[in-house]
Amino acid sequence: MQKSTFMYVTYIRTTPEKLWAALTKPEFTRQYFFNTTQESDWKPGASWKMKAPDGSTTDGGEVLEIDPPRRLVLKWRHELKPELTAEGYSRMTYSLEQAGASVKLTVMHEMDKAGSKLIEGVSGGWPPILASLKSLLETGQPLEETRHWKGGCKGE
Amino acid sequence: MKKLELVYVTYIRTTPKKLWAAITEPKFASQYWAGRGNISDWKKGSPWYHSEEGKLDEACVVGEVLESKPPKRLVLSWADPDSPKEISRVTFELEPHDDMVNLRVTHNQIKAGSETAKNVSRGWPLVLSSLKSFLETGKGLMVSCGHD
Repeated sequence: MQKSTFMYVTYIRTTPEKLWAALTKPEFTRQYFFNTTQESDWKPGASWKMKAPDGSTTDGGEVLEIDPPRRLVLKWRHELKPELTAEGYSRMTYSLEQAGASVKLTVMHEMDKAGSKLIEGVSGGWPPILASLKSLLETGQPLEETRHWKGGCKGE
Repeated sequence: MKKLELVYVTYIRTTPKKLWAAITEPKFASQYWAGRGNISDWKKGSPWYHSEEGKLDEACVVGEVLESKPPKRLVLSWADPDSPKEISRVTFELEPHDDMVNLRVTHNQIKAGSETAKNVSRGWPLVLSSLKSFLETGKGLMVSCGHD
């Protein structure tokens, strides 16, 4: 099957539990993920939404797998730009593995079609978000670049 | 022969000059790159070694400086001394944005299935994460060689 895939690995000096909290809890995502929050009950099959500061839904889908603090798999569809919404659901996986005194975070974002514009967009967006997350956990401060909502965020 | 290209992009709260120094001065690189530094006079055409200082004959990577434009762009050829004909190429590009630097590392012309392919696909995310931690917190992540 044709696929579009984005994969990124980073190592962060933290614990899996702290990283898991930073990936899922609003008091963290507001700081490094463009001031967005996520709405979900965090159970398999539960709905999942990413919300902009004004309350609008930027992305939506479902929790496919959840195994805290090791693995989260989401069904993920962009909800703001019609041409990206039309691509349908992608699959986004966070995998967390202890690596000495650090945690190895692997982000895999995939779409079951070649040439996905969504995957192209998030390929530009994930690196600064993940860099900002690492700075937040290691220094207490995210990167300025990803603090604030920018409208067309994540390069989408 | 199939060739691979890896691209790794990160953003580090630092200046281009400090980041350039962290890559090219062994007293810094050894703190985040498993005790080894990048040793060269950094002139175009000069040799380059990735090794502990004073142990160039035990370098685990060797090559040549292809381009050096501090603090923006550094291009090196890269080879395992045990397979000197398999030469790949590494480009560091440093672009400032506000209070941070966008670092883009491109490693291409890697022979598919080689030891280098295996080592660097695992190694770059580790080394560059360690470099970011070093510049932002004063301490790198790696205490032993990422190749092990």
